Amino acid sequence: MIGALIIVFREVIEAGLIIGIVMAATQTVSGSRRWILGGVLGGILGSCVVAGFTGTLAQLFNGYGQEIFNASILATAVIMLTWHNIWMARNGRAMAGELKQAGIEVREGHKSLLALAIIVGTAVLREGSEVVLFLYGVAISAHETALAMIAGGFAGLILGALVSALTFRGLLKIPNRYFFSVTTWLITFLAAGMAAQSVSFLEKAGLATILQNEVWNSSSILSEKSIPGRILHTLLGYSDQPTALQLVVYLATLAIGFGLTKWISKPPRLAAA
Amino acid sequence: MFLRIIGCSFAMLVLATPLRAEDVTTYETTLKDKAFTVAEIKVPAGKPFILKVTNANAAPAELEAKDMQIEKPVAANSEIVVRVKAMPAGKYLFVDEYQEDFAKGYIVVE
Repeated sequence: MIGALIIVFREVIEAGLIIGIVMAATQTVSGSRRWILGGVLGGILGSCVVAGFTGTLAQLFNGYGQEIFNASILATAVIMLTWHNIWMARNGRAMAGELKQAGIEVREGHKSLLALAIIVGTAVLREGSEVVLFLYGVAISAHETALAMIAGGFAGLILGALVSALTFRGLLKIPNRYFFSVTTWLITFLAAGMAAQSVSFLEKAGLATILQNEVWNSSSILSEKSIPGRILHTLLGYSDQPTALQLVVYLATLAIGFGLTKWISKPPRLAAA
Repeated sequence: MFLRIIGCSFAMLVLATPLRAEDVTTYETTLKDKAFTVAEIKVPAGKPFILKVTNANAAPAELEAKDMQIEKPVAANSEIVVRVKAMPAGKYLFVDEYQEDFAKGYIVVE
C-alpha cells in the first residue's frame, strides 16, 4: 500500500506542479480552466493508450521507441512553453493592467490556451501512463491485495493533488506587480528542465553521443529520486548526475527563453525624428 | 496540430537515428515472478553496455536503477533494452520498481 501511495504521489506531484503553474499563469484568461481541464482529460486518455501500447512502443527503433517517444513529447512541451512565454511577453502588460477584472478576452488568447492545454496534456500523459501501467500491474498480479494498493493509489492521488493545490495557492499570493515575471521565470525553468530531460532520453537511446561526461554527482546529497529531488527536478530541472550535454542544453534553453521574452517585451522604440 | 508537432519531432528524431552497428556488449536477464534469473551481472569498468531485460510475468514491470539512471517500464511478457553509460567500478542495484522489495539484481562493474 505504501508502495502504491509513493508511486502515485510522485507522478501526481510532477504533473500537478506543472498544472498548478500553468493555472496560475493563466488565471485571468477567460476560458483557460476549460482548456486546462481538456488537457488533463486528454492526458489521462492518452495515458491509457500509451500504457496499453508500452510493449509495442518499446520495440520500435531497435528497442528505443519509448525513449524517442518521451524525448519527442518533452521537446514538444519545451516549444509550447517557450511559445507561451513569448505570447505572454507580448500580451502580459495589457493583461496585468486589467488583472483585477476577471475574464478578459485577449486577442489570439486561444492559441496560447491550446499551447497550455498541450503542455498540461503532455505532463499528464507522461506521468499518467506510468500510473496506469502500475495500477494495471497491481490489478493482475497479487502479492498485495488489490484493495490495499488501490487505497494507496488514491491516497497518493489526493496527497499529490494537495501539494499541487498548495503550490497554486502560493503562486496566487504573489503580488500582481511581480506575478507575470514570476510565472514567466517558472515556465522558463520548467522548459529548460524538460529540454535537459529530453536530451537525457536521446542519450539513453544512443542518439546523442557527444559531451557525455558527468558534470557532477550530487546523488548522495540530494537524490533526484527522493520527493524533494523530484520536485526540484520538475520545477528547475535539477539533475543529480547531469552530462555536459544536458547542462549545455539546459543553459541554452534558459538563455533563449529569457532572451526572447526580454526582447519581445521591450517597448517598440520610436524611430528617431 | 498537437499530433502534427509531436509527429514532426518524432520523424526528425527517427531520421536522425544513426544506422550503425552497435559495438557495445549486451547483457541479459529475465524477470520471472519476484526475481531476476540473473541477479548479478558482471561488466567491465569504463565501458558503456546494453542491458536487455525480459519480463516473463503477466504483470507489467518497471526497471529502475537509481545510480544508472534507468527508469523504463516493461510491459507484460515483453522485453526492453537500455543503454547504460560507462561507470566506475562498484556494485549497482537494479529493481522492478513495482515490487522493489523482492525483485532485485546487481550490476557489478569491475
